[in-house]
Amino acid sequence: MSYAYLFKYIIIGDTGVGKSCLLLQFTDKRFQPVHDLTIGVEFGARMITIDSKQIKLQIWDTAGQEAFRSITRSYYRGAAGALLVYDITRRETFNHLTTWLEDARQHSNSNMVIMLIGNKSDLETRREVKKEEGEAFAREHGLVFMETSAKTAANVEEAFINTAKEIYEKIQEGVFDINNEANGIKIGPQHSPTNPSLPGTGGSGGSQGSGCC
Amino acid sequence: MEYFKNSLKSVLGAPPPGTQMTGAETVETLLARVSTSTLLEDRRDACRAIKALSKQYRLEVGAQGMDILRQVLELDRNDPEIIGYCLDALCNVTSKNILKDECENNANVGEQFSEMFLKNPENVSLVLSFLEEYDFRVRWPAVKLLTSLTNSRPKDIQDLILVSPMGVSKLMDLLSENREVIRNDAVLLLISLTKSNANIQKIVAFENAFDKLLNIISEEEYTNGDIVVEDCLLLMLNLLKNNTSNINFFKEGSYIQKLAPMFILPDNLEEVGWSPQKISNFHCVLQVVRTLVSPNNPAQIVTSCQKTLRNANLLESFCNILMASGVPADILTEIINTVGEVIRGNLTNQEYFANVLAPSNPPRPALVVLIMSMVNEKQPFTLRCAVLYCFECFLYKNEIGQELVVQTLLPSSTGNTTVTTGQLLCSGLFSNDSLSNWFCAVALSHCLIENPSQKEQLLRVLLATNLGAQPVTLLNQCGVFLQHTSKLQAKLGILMLISMWMAHCPAAVKIFLNVPGAMAFLTAQTSASEFDNNEELLQGLCAFIMGLCVLFNDNSVQNYSKENLAQLIEKRVGLETYCKKLSEVSRHEVYARAAKQPQIKAKHSNELLLEFEFCKLFKVMECLIIQALGVQRDLSNGISELSLSEHENALLLQYKDLIRDQDKKLQDLQKKYNHLQKEFNELKAQMEELQQTNTQLVDQNTLLKAQLSAGTTQVTNIIHEIQAPAPPPTVDSQPVFIHGNNDALLERIKKLEADNERLEKVEEELAEKTSEIESYQRDQDDLLQLLTFQDTKLNKFKERLRQLGALPHSDESSSDVSDNEKDKESGPSLL
Ligand SMILES: Nc1nc2c(ncn2[C@@H]2O[C@H](COP(=O)(O)OP(=O)(O)OP(=O)(O)O)[C@@H](O)[C@H]2O)c(=O)[nH]1
Ligand SMILES: [Mg+2]
Repeated sequence: MSYAYLFKYIIIGDTGVGKSCLLLQFTDKRFQPVHDLTIGVEFGARMITIDSKQIKLQIWDTAGQEAFRSITRSYYRGAAGALLVYDITRRETFNHLTTWLEDARQHSNSNMVIMLIGNKSDLETRREVKKEEGEAFAREHGLVFMETSAKTAANVEEAFINTAKEIYEKIQEGVFDINNEANGIKIGPQHSPTNPSLPGTGGSGGSQGSGCC
Repeated sequence: MEYFKNSLKSVLGAPPPGTQMTGAETVETLLARVSTSTLLEDRRDACRAIKALSKQYRLEVGAQGMDILRQVLELDRNDPEIIGYCLDALCNVTSKNILKDECENNANVGEQFSEMFLKNPENVSLVLSFLEEYDFRVRWPAVKLLTSLTNSRPKDIQDLILVSPMGVSKLMDLLSENREVIRNDAVLLLISLTKSNANIQKIVAFENAFDKLLNIISEEEYTNGDIVVEDCLLLMLNLLKNNTSNINFFKEGSYIQKLAPMFILPDNLEEVGWSPQKISNFHCVLQVVRTLVSPNNPAQIVTSCQKTLRNANLLESFCNILMASGVPADILTEIINTVGEVIRGNLTNQEYFANVLAPSNPPRPALVVLIMSMVNEKQPFTLRCAVLYCFECFLYKNEIGQELVVQTLLPSSTGNTTVTTGQLLCSGLFSNDSLSNWFCAVALSHCLIENPSQKEQLLRVLLATNLGAQPVTLLNQCGVFLQHTSKLQAKLGILMLISMWMAHCPAAVKIFLNVPGAMAFLTAQTSASEFDNNEELLQGLCAFIMGLCVLFNDNSVQNYSKENLAQLIEKRVGLETYCKKLSEVSRHEVYARAAKQPQIKAKHSNELLLEFEFCKLFKVMECLIIQALGVQRDLSNGISELSLSEHENALLLQYKDLIRDQDKKLQDLQKKYNHLQKEFNELKAQMEELQQTNTQLVDQNTLLKAQLSAGTTQVTNIIHEIQAPAPPPTVDSQPVFIHGNNDALLERIKKLEADNERLEKVEEELAEKTSEIESYQRDQDDLLQLLTFQDTKLNKFKERLRQLGALPHSDESSSDVSDNEKDKESGPSLL
């Protein structure tokens, strides 16, 4: 399938904040209630449309546990966008944002778009971090901000798509060097090389058989 | 070598006549030169010489030079030449291979030096940083050193690369190198680095490995390219094998489509033929495809990869190659396996395959042509196995396909004169080739898996046996053939077919029970008490079939009702024997091998005895059968219990209690046994570990000794040097200078002054060395102490093992001990 651009994302943040759930909700439109601890890194992908252009998102969901921190660092440099996630029901995940941000800024390319996400907005009763605090943090550090729920899917699409829009705009402004693959951006193949609508059955097999000898 | 000696002479200065330096001494002197000389050129020359000596004297270079060489890497990093020599020398020192002119004793020296080098994580960062140096003299040896370290201590370096920031990035940049030697060696390095480490595999993939590799492959003209294509494909294989995340990335990144050019056969293939390299390349790319759709992967991934492979017309390409002429047999075999896995369990792909026609005249379905080769004794064994596997894949979860095959056997099919799959299978089933019998039986059994209606349909199949005789049913013929054939392989094949057929199919059981002699045959086999050579499998399978006859019996055959059969088993065979026969099967290594994966894997035809799907059936049914027999007995007891007298009843209860007790005891003992077994294994592992540490210590000991002796000679040398220059010998030995003018004399004096200074330095060094020796001695003592300690521990464990009954009181263990004692004795004497 052809696309105009391909963006690489990473999702980072403390363990248990819902990174894998956000990805699953975005790619499969499902919610996974059990915490399935991510080991290392997992990959996911989806196509979106911006400005009537097809954009392929390739997303690397990283492990939040401390033990995997150095592995996570290997993914910063090649990413165009990062979702930095905290859990609005656990203040410590918000407190750790500074460390995450420092790590990201140190290892990524300077143009990487970072989207700050306060996840689990469906758990209003257990909220420990006010929305205003998230907004303030984002403003202070020049990030985009959004509250989401991987459970109800509220704002999940928007989070991924708005990040893409931001990157797309930066490309239009010429900020990104799109020819440098290390930026996490690729231009799509100029023309679609294969014909995906070929019926793989019946007659074509027969004609192939007689055609090849 | 001569050149080498000359160049050495120029570096070292001519040795005093009459004295011959040993290699070790030379190394020593050179290293001293490297660490003390203030002139870069001096150090460079010395390093060049060290590099040249590092193969033959790697023990010396490694033991004494590791730190010095590392220092050079840090301090002289602006001089590409000297860095190159150092990296090369380290590469030789850490090599896992036994180098030329080296004795076997040095077998794991490379690993030990690698371990030493990797102990300091900074060293890896240092070597990685040299990858950024563009100069060929630095970058290439840096790649080679990393490769050498990786081959010697893969785990260590993998862990270090993971924590060194941008480590993988730096390696990946090498894939875009325009100097091919470096690029190709980088591919080899990455192959070693990615081996069984999912984290590195994922990072490498994230760093655009697939793009880069496919670029190289296309630049090298795909499968026509040289060995670097094969290496690139091997690296891809490493990245994908058992790595779902990367497979998903590969699929989502549209890389499957980019494989397509690899499968286009040139029109003039028959003229150009298949070079060995092309065969290897092709083989590898097929492996890449197969890892995407391997039955071991999660079903969801397999299905979506299968779909992409079809949509990208790769399935079509595979089928074209399948039907092309002149394809080498091993490629054909692998293509057949690949087609199998690309269609396995995917209805659309299976349908596509069913419609592929072979370019024969008249055109025949590819399936028929394949089955023809399967029953053809002249075809290579592995190819025949592949055909069976492919056929199984075609039938897997494919009711329509199963029906299609069975239909070709039914009498109703309208006067068709062309050969059909069914006919081929039927004639192969009873032919003289036992391998064909086995293949066809398994193939037919796959038409019946989880398909009750085809089981019924197949019962309708009639065979004309002899001219004029009544036609018999296929199942009947199986029962007869079973008794007549003498070949184990054929018997097992038929038995597997019959079991698949009778499971959940009372109508089949009924027909089978009526086959003359069949039950007698089964009973005889099941109750036989002796067996040789895999016959336990035959007996076990016969027992299994008897069990199925009980399980799926609708009581319609007079003498063989459920109850009759159960009693037959109990009386004639005995339940205990019966269960033992069954368990003989699932315990057999042939069973374990077959149950591992759907693909039929065997080196020789006589290894083919059991098959994957049968093993699955056996596993499920074994429990049910044992249950059924137990239930049966209780039921008959239940009926008779009513008619028992009170006394008898009490007795019965007593026995039941007894049995229960014994059962409990049995279970307890079993538990204890398991526990002990576990403990034994743990102890064994511990012992092995200790033994390993022991050898390691011994090795380290040797190393230290080498260092020590080297240190001693150095000291003696220094002492000589100190004593020697007391009278000014330079005047006599080099009269040339005396005849020179004043200037020369002045220079001479200056030089002498310098010499004096050096002398002081040497004295200082002497003091240093002496303290070093002392510390070595201390180390040595510590090590020896540790050794003794380990020894006692080892003996203690051995004693414990012996107490546990795991080790016999054999001579072996005692000779072990004395070996250790010898070590202990010889240790100090060498000091
Ligand atoms: N109520 C609610 N629960 C959520 C939400 N998102 C995630 N969870 C739950 O939070 C737990 C952790 O989610 P994960 O997505 O596995 O966490 P993670 O960030 O990937 O954790 P690591 O993989 O260890 O880094 C799971 O039990 C989820 O069900 C959400 O939006 N609302
Ligand atoms: Mg996770």
